[in-house]
Amino acid sequence: MSETPKLVLFQCQWCLFSPADQEWVDSQLPANIHLIKVPCTGRINPLYLLNAVQGGADGIMISGCLPEQCHFKTGNIGARRQLEEFSDYLSHIGYEKERIRFLWLDLQDRGIIQKELAAFEAQLEAFGPAHNLATRAVESAGGANA
Amino acid sequence: MPDLDALKAEAKRLLDEGVVEMIIGFKAGDTPLHPQPAFFKTVEEIDRLVYNALCQNNLATYLTRFPKTQKIGMLVRGCENRSVNALVIEGQHPRDGLYLIGVPCEGIIDWRKIIEKTGEEVISVFEQSDNTVLVEAKSGYFTLEKDTLLHESCARCIHPNPISADIVIGELLPEGDPTLAREQVAAFADLSLQERHAWFRQEAERCIRCYACREACPMCYCEECFVDHVSPRWTESGTTPAGMQGWHIVRAFHQTGRCTSCGACERACPMDIKMTYLTEKLNQDMRQKYNFEAGMDTKTPPPFSTITLDDKSRFIV
Repeated sequence: MSETPKLVLFQCQWCLFSPADQEWVDSQLPANIHLIKVPCTGRINPLYLLNAVQGGADGIMISGCLPEQCHFKTGNIGARRQLEEFSDYLSHIGYEKERIRFLWLDLQDRGIIQKELAAFEAQLEAFGPAHNLATRAVESAGGANA
Repeated sequence: MPDLDALKAEAKRLLDEGVVEMIIGFKAGDTPLHPQPAFFKTVEEIDRLVYNALCQNNLATYLTRFPKTQKIGMLVRGCENRSVNALVIEGQHPRDGLYLIGVPCEGIIDWRKIIEKTGEEVISVFEQSDNTVLVEAKSGYFTLEKDTLLHESCARCIHPNPISADIVIGELLPEGDPTLAREQVAAFADLSLQERHAWFRQEAERCIRCYACREACPMCYCEECFVDHVSPRWTESGTTPAGMQGWHIVRAFHQTGRCTSCGACERACPMDIKMTYLTEKLNQDMRQKYNFEAGMDTKTPPPFSTITLDDKSRFIV
């Protein structure tokens, strides 16, 4: 595939502890990665993933704190159950489950997010673009800005 | 086939002794193929009670439409009993405020399968003791095998008996075969990704967005559905492909760990769209990952409302 895959990154605001990583995610993300900052991975409704998938995302990365280090104690564990099941469910109807990936960051981690995003992107390039559920019309063509 | 006189006698007793204020059951509908849900408040009304294999609604749907303080009696089959249990767990009605009259269920007849064979003008339907159904139609008399008429969800039903009814009328039936029940979702999972997607798209895009599946489902009791919510609009909900597919994806996903496989959604669909291949997949995942089956008791909350640190999932480091 020639074009770069479109990625959506859901980033928990608490777990990029190093200023360098924080800075990179906030202002130096490559153009093909769409950043959505959330207060906790527990805030991510499966509908957000659906919107990303229908809007044409080739891959979704959900980056949050380690299971026992959630800022809100258990938010990420609740998220894990729902989102994992949702990605399995989407794979049942045509969106490969490898396209949705979770990343658990330790507070001590430095530079992990860049490496993981690069590895994910390489994997998605091998998969090719995801056409199956990318059904939403663009706004200029009358699609709702959901 | 349940003993109608025994059902009526029990229903009359409950109303007469003041155990319940209302009985939810069925009465004759406009045609013999469609008995309709009915709400009986006096002993005299009970004479109109009808109960047969053509009663296709899941009566647990109506539970959430009455005040929690009301004492309600209800005729329940296996699936309805499980739906009631799931609603009790979710705090939709106290179990003390319910009196469940259990009826072991031999399966619901799909009226579409009858009119396929007899034509639309059906005058009467009799269930006979030798497991056949005698249908009188304008085009003549037909004797049909009941097993060939069953709705798909009922043909693969595992728990036909009410599991926590206050009284059971009729003899308990043998449990269904779990392997047979899970064939459908296993066969679907064996298809390739593109085939699965093609099937999903074809089913979803026939939808006319009448929301009959939502209204028929006992677990769909939200005051405002995500699809009706306009500000913020959670997901695209128009009649575009994205809106159609989004509705089917999310409606089923909201039943994760709550669906009791009653099949009321498919029976209600005027377009005959298949939906259980979605909910059965979710049920299968809940069984495999969390060893959970919806409605089997009134204590265990569904997996998504509990949190444990030791889940076995691929998202775990």
